[in-house]
Amino acid sequence: MTQDKIAEAVEQVPALDKRGTFTGPAWEEILPAVDSVLSAGKDGVVAVVAMLKDVDDGADYKARYFLHVIAQYVGRPGKEAARATFIEALASQLGGDRPKGVQGYVARQLQVAGSKDSAPALGKVLADPDLCEYATQALLAIRTGAVEEFRKALPELKGGPRLTVLQALGVLADGASVDAMKAAIADADREVRLAAGWGLARIGDAGSVDVVLKAADVDAGYERIKATSSALLLAEKLLSAGKKADAAKIYKHLQGTRTDPSEAYVKEVASEGLAKAGG
Amino acid sequence: MPSSKIGRRKFLADTTASVGFFAVAPSALLASPPRRSPNELYGGALIGCGGRGPSTYQEMTKNLPVEQRAQCDVKFVDKADNKMFYTDFRRVLERKDIDLVAIGTPPHWHSLISIAAAEAGKDVLCEKPMTRFIAEGRAVADTFKRYKRIFQIGTFGRFGVSKDKKNIEIHKIMRSGFLKENPGVYVKSGGLKVKEWSGRVNLAPQTPPANLDWNFYVGASPMKPYVPPRHGGTHRGYWDYEGGGLADMAQHTLDPYQWIYGKDDTSPVEIEAYAPPAHPEVCAMWGWIEMKYADGFTLVLESGEWGNKYDRKPARKPVLEDLDEESRKKLAALPDPEPLVTFAEAVRTRKQPGGNAEAAHRCAILLHLANIAIRTGRKLRFDPVKEEFVGDELANRYANPPMRAPWHL
Repeated sequence: MTQDKIAEAVEQVPALDKRGTFTGPAWEEILPAVDSVLSAGKDGVVAVVAMLKDVDDGADYKARYFLHVIAQYVGRPGKEAARATFIEALASQLGGDRPKGVQGYVARQLQVAGSKDSAPALGKVLADPDLCEYATQALLAIRTGAVEEFRKALPELKGGPRLTVLQALGVLADGASVDAMKAAIADADREVRLAAGWGLARIGDAGSVDVVLKAADVDAGYERIKATSSALLLAEKLLSAGKKADAAKIYKHLQGTRTDPSEAYVKEVASEGLAKAGG
Repeated sequence: MPSSKIGRRKFLADTTASVGFFAVAPSALLASPPRRSPNELYGGALIGCGGRGPSTYQEMTKNLPVEQRAQCDVKFVDKADNKMFYTDFRRVLERKDIDLVAIGTPPHWHSLISIAAAEAGKDVLCEKPMTRFIAEGRAVADTFKRYKRIFQIGTFGRFGVSKDKKNIEIHKIMRSGFLKENPGVYVKSGGLKVKEWSGRVNLAPQTPPANLDWNFYVGASPMKPYVPPRHGGTHRGYWDYEGGGLADMAQHTLDPYQWIYGKDDTSPVEIEAYAPPAHPEVCAMWGWIEMKYADGFTLVLESGEWGNKYDRKPARKPVLEDLDEESRKKLAALPDPEPLVTFAEAVRTRKQPGGNAEAAHRCAILLHLANIAIRTGRKLRFDPVKEEFVGDELANRYANPPMRAPWHL
């Protein structure tokens, strides 16, 4: 299928109204065009990607929309082969010469329809500050194969991408990242410290009780509020895992340290937790 | 009619069919003592001061002695003094003299600010819709339960309808478990501002205004370049911040009916949308969405703005005649539901308010299910207990999309 034919298919997307708002075609109206592009295999999808521009200013809205329609369509039962082709095509567009705005859009379509097969391509761009967030969000949506990419990327990252990936490992409750998080909980950056404490809480690691409590004893302020929340989360995780003594340690600590009237509500939560932990 | 607890217990012992009637958390679940300022005034803060913000704040102060001590908005860059005016809600929440927080931001901030407020010991009145996606609501409800704080959604239609005798009768029929097959169909037709709150896709990115902290505004949503309609009311037309007229209006519209039809503790199990393929960025046109509950009750949203009309089932309320005689007698013996508790009463007594986090979350789920059916373009099955789609991993990506660091649930 030639680029002209692909462009012809994309052109079937209706024009915008005068206000610039959008009314899509009915599914049955657009599906023949979608099928024709998919029938061209990987090259057909790549040809649509080639129609995207770096800046989303509406000039390429038909191609953007068309690509997204494919992303929705290939998620249907029975479309597994088409989905695999779509994913392969999009993954091939990451990390190369395409403008960053286009690669970001491609990553977002992989967030919609990608699979573990696209994880390595997304992992490849985690170190790119322009693409790290989109790639992370796509990997977190895909889940399978994501954690390996995050672990691989983290040691080399700095600044925003480091925080993004550290938090992602917390979202995935990655037990293999405990040491990295324990190191990060004492970081100079407040957001990194909080992300690390939250990640340790989500992992539910009994060996993290002391560092999480130390982080929660920071002076009054937002960090103390959030770090205390992480400590309570860790206690709940430990309690549900049957590690009552470890959970009780957290509850006792909070019960004993949240003595200011403004923190009475935390003390109350801790007291309830302690009762559940048999402390 | 027995209205005492003994009467209820006896009734429950008499029938197994009514197990579900009292399944909703009782209104007096939380018994934490009220938190008062030393001078007996409640300290109030408004976070998100544009649009509905001031009205939401006014609702929060009804029948309570409140002194406004902080206003926070990401567009206050040029006047933030961190005493009365703030751009960063976190600095408001760390203040010990703030007890009550009204949230009037766009919905993509509702859950995160609500959760942080509860963690800081504050009570919250939050503008509708409650959330931007399903997992947010569960996190809000769990957090308010953990910290025993008060959450009330900023729509109040259920307070009025729950006083009407006919509505109470329908509510009792629905909650009784006596219906063998639920014939109820509720159709909400029109009034969902679909075209009005459709986003624009033909705008070139611009430099944000100097008084607006764009990065903070975007928050947990995917970072996109600034175009004016993404901020300031027209944000409703973009998936990143809300969910179109459907999300904007449906919590308002459906909340009273969710109470009438007794669905505060569950969600539909089948969802089907009649709509064009969704746009990736902007909320756009759709025709209707049909949502079926496990008991057979059907809820339909019809835009009246695109495509053919919904014609599968006519609207129909459940009536006494749908029950056999014995069930009618048992229903007559059931106590009426307790009156709903207002936000002010809830703050004072620590009872759960009528529009509490669990109920509001169940209502918000309806909007999200509808929008996800539009965005996936296929019939979906939903597990109301796990709050996940069944057998559709791609649909679940919309139920709990990742957040941009440092924000997370």
